Amino acid sequence: MNYRSRKLIALTAVAATAALVLAGCSGSSSGSQKPDEKAPSHLSGTVSLWHYFSDREAKAMQSVVDDFEKANPDVTVKVHSGQSDDKMSKVIASGGDLDVAISSGTDDLGAFCGSGSFRDLGPYMKRDNVEASQFLKIPYGYSSFEGKQCSLPMLSDTYGLYYNTDLLKAAGYTEAPKTLSELQSMALKLTTYNADGSIKTLGFNPLMGFYENQAAQWSFITGATWMKDGKSTIADDPAWNQLMTWQKGLVDKIGYDKLKKFTAGLGDEWSGDQAFQTGQVAMMLDGEWRVAFIEDGKPDLPYGTAPFPTGDKQTDLYGGGYSSGDIVGIAKTSKQPELAWALTKYLTTDTDALVKMANEIKNIPTTTAALNSPKLKLTPQFKTFFDIAASQHVFTLPTTVIGSANQTTMDKYWDSYQQGKGGNLESGLKGVDKDINNAISLSKGP
Amino acid sequence: MSATATRPSTLDTERNRRSGRRKPNSVLLWIAEHTVLVVLAVLFVAPIVFVLLTSFMSANQTLTASLWPNPWDFGNYVRAFTQVPLAQWFGNSAVYAVLATAFMLISSVPAAYVLAKIRIRFANTIFLAIIVAMLLPPQVTIVPLYVMWSQLGLTGTLWPLILPNLLGDAFSIFLLRQFFLTIPSEYADAARIDGNGELGVLVRVIVPMAKPGIAAASIFLFFNAWNDYFGPLVYTSENPDNWPVAYGLAMFHGSHGTDWGTTMAVTMLVTIPVVIIFFFAQRTFVEGITLTGVKG
Amino acid sequence: MTAASLREGRDNTQTRPSRPIRSRAKLKRTLVVWAMITPALLGLAIFFVYPLLANLYYSFTSFNLLSPPEWIGLRNYQYLFTQDPRVVTAALNTLWLVVILVPVRIIMAMAVAGLLVRAKRASGLWRTLFYMPALVPPVASVVAFVFLFNPGTGPVNQILHAVGIPGPLWFSDPALAKPSLVLMGVWVMGDIMIIFLASLLDVPRDQYEAAALDGANGPQRVRYVTLPHMGPVLLFAIITGVIAALQYFTEAAVASSVASGKTGVSVQLSQVLGYPSDSLLTYTEWLYVRGFSNFQLGYAAALAVLLFVITAAFLFVLLRRFKAFTPEGRS
Repeated sequence: MNYRSRKLIALTAVAATAALVLAGCSGSSSGSQKPDEKAPSHLSGTVSLWHYFSDREAKAMQSVVDDFEKANPDVTVKVHSGQSDDKMSKVIASGGDLDVAISSGTDDLGAFCGSGSFRDLGPYMKRDNVEASQFLKIPYGYSSFEGKQCSLPMLSDTYGLYYNTDLLKAAGYTEAPKTLSELQSMALKLTTYNADGSIKTLGFNPLMGFYENQAAQWSFITGATWMKDGKSTIADDPAWNQLMTWQKGLVDKIGYDKLKKFTAGLGDEWSGDQAFQTGQVAMMLDGEWRVAFIEDGKPDLPYGTAPFPTGDKQTDLYGGGYSSGDIVGIAKTSKQPELAWALTKYLTTDTDALVKMANEIKNIPTTTAALNSPKLKLTPQFKTFFDIAASQHVFTLPTTVIGSANQTTMDKYWDSYQQGKGGNLESGLKGVDKDINNAISLSKGP
Repeated sequence: MSATATRPSTLDTERNRRSGRRKPNSVLLWIAEHTVLVVLAVLFVAPIVFVLLTSFMSANQTLTASLWPNPWDFGNYVRAFTQVPLAQWFGNSAVYAVLATAFMLISSVPAAYVLAKIRIRFANTIFLAIIVAMLLPPQVTIVPLYVMWSQLGLTGTLWPLILPNLLGDAFSIFLLRQFFLTIPSEYADAARIDGNGELGVLVRVIVPMAKPGIAAASIFLFFNAWNDYFGPLVYTSENPDNWPVAYGLAMFHGSHGTDWGTTMAVTMLVTIPVVIIFFFAQRTFVEGITLTGVKG
Repeated sequence: MTAASLREGRDNTQTRPSRPIRSRAKLKRTLVVWAMITPALLGLAIFFVYPLLANLYYSFTSFNLLSPPEWIGLRNYQYLFTQDPRVVTAALNTLWLVVILVPVRIIMAMAVAGLLVRAKRASGLWRTLFYMPALVPPVASVVAFVFLFNPGTGPVNQILHAVGIPGPLWFSDPALAKPSLVLMGVWVMGDIMIIFLASLLDVPRDQYEAAALDGANGPQRVRYVTLPHMGPVLLFAIITGVIAALQYFTEAAVASSVASGKTGVSVQLSQVLGYPSDSLLTYTEWLYVRGFSNFQLGYAAALAVLLFVITAAFLFVLLRRFKAFTPEGRS
């Protein structure tokens, strides 16, 4: 008995020591985080690029990368496509081969930047005369965190209204709605039903969770804000109340169950059966990339684009929209920081590269030079989004250390609210604020 | 005492038959039992049939009301290999499953033998630890193990899932031990008397007698590796080159959302190797697990 | 080996080891024996004991994977028990699975096994038929089931529609998502059915006859002869079933991502887990989200500690009561 328990204790002690030793050294070592004195005159070596594009968009990215390789014949770029943030963070944390990362949004920038996983690009920019003024204001802003410019914007997304011109014409409409009231009345008129009462064609799908219907993307509509001084202030902003009340009103008018059933049968957002492309939904909120998807999947679709309607009280916001976008960062563990910076600089400031990407992926380039380039292929539908990007009233989402947890918390609550299970809106939103603040304080320490 | 009763439940009818009566109930009962069985069988086979039929439908038809392919589109199976690197996924799964099983056998058979047949000091503690390890949810250990594997630079590959089997697999050890317990010790004793060391006893006597149990443990591990989703999710999600088939199938639906025809074709293809293996190994497999499960 | 020394062993299939080292041969034997078991012991130490302890350590830290862990004491646990908005839902969902999925599968497996035995169809084609679905990789089963139960275009609703019943939303309906998973769980019950079948066939006939002679009728014979004999197998099924339910991840995750239509290689899993409306959010899924998507691995470790405690408690109670698997008490 003695022997046994002694042996057990010994085993435990060994394991515990190993645990502490291994636990102590996590996170990976990194070289110097400062740029060299002068930019290298000749670039050579291998640099790895991780991005989130796939299929058609990945091909576009590849052609831009090929151009970079042509301009720098001694450089090879290893491309990893289809990577999401959680995959990339795992690689960075384990010191894997990742030099340049393109993230699809700013959700995780807080974590990447706050932990130093993305290098501070300020010194590099200073040395090579890359100025803040080259970039659009909002994207430049959302690619920094707590004052550190640890990433640069590349392509941004703006959201607007897509509407099926044929369906609108058939119902007697010639213009897109500009306010929520107009949107509602048009949506109801454009909705048709089957013999058994189920929805046949939907004027506008107000359900949160459907395609791009999320709290962040909708926040622009009434100019709703999320945070102040690092704390979540959703309940304090009456714009949210106004927005959510309107949304639920429309849901109830059509019927939650009917909408749910209709939505469940719709095609996948990224497939050829996307509901707007099939004509099952007459109007919807979507990003500017949809133009490319329509061109690719249903080029004969009769549609128009316009800025999204605003709340009745917020008509001065009209013409603007919600904006977010991808960001490019250099991993702290990169073994080729100068090469990585050269590639980053190319992707984010080279006008030709940006214009090419904008034309093929149909996103908005984020430098003023590219925005004004004559080489941009602007169809009328696509131009709408450029105008939105250039407008005064562009809203974006604040970056936090907890990733997208604030969005998820809000979206979860809105989901139960629209079903009628959210209780009193005031106290519900106060609960959302509380949860977000708790999560932030958990990450930031006691 | 009745001479023949081969199935306990027929005792009533046996007795009745002997006494010359045939209850009308028994015929109705037979009909009822068989009807239920047939209905159940149909319900159980139906999903596979539907999947099979869908795998022969063109993408457009899968979204319509028709339940029968018209026309029959065999292209889905071709597309299954061209649209995604299915062959590569199969390769990855094969490497994972085969290596894991081989490693498991090397490490776990001897360990199970010791636990079953040889009285060593902490046999009970060790066995208890094995049981707890076997029943531990992987999520409990995933964080430290992930950190450890990333220190070793093996994340992004399947090695974190394969290598641990070199140091034994808890469930396999459990299964094998239970099985070894059913082998009478006279055989081992005889071999020892003949001058064999423990290793000789194991290899020359025990293993040949334990084929069903070893086959069962192998098949269990093989299937677990083949079907593993959570492991590859954690360790290989960022590296599509190393995706095994189960993870790939889940990701496949992602990029080809409505191509149900090809998705179902991939589903069938993913299932077929497993069915084939089971088909050939049926008898030993069933014998193996029942002998361990039944005897406790 | 004498008969006496054989009897002395706790179990008549084990052999006494030699007494403390007397000769080179005995030494060699001891070394060989320990060599045979050392890999497994190492495995236990590295892949079981170490992670458990390390996980415990991490649970007291704030760790975002990208920087070294920072000690924060009980903060994670405080958050877990008082401030985490979705952990209760996740725990309840998992509990639901334990309480509903496990018994339903076991009862169904028993029923089918019993039926097969009664109808004398316990082998060959029939047995294979009911077992086959269990062979399908779980990911494939889920993808297939979500497709079959697609509210708009799936065959199940087509058939229901044809007979005039309005088809429910199945995997998209928060109230029906878990029951739909149970349906799938029943479909793959073959893995326990097959063990039940073997056990049923193994009951000694003379026990039935003895019971019949004593005046026991059908149901009584089942209760006093069949079920006790099936004890070990039932226990095995319950234990493995509950453990599987406590760590339920794959089926729920794949069902949510397929049913939500939000699938894409770059879509974060965390966005879709739990769809619809968190009804499929299991405890281990929530652990994964907090750890790998919210960069809160210290907190994920705390969730893991809680899971371990509950699993261990359950095992302790059950194994203590039945002692069916340890060498001391064999039923």
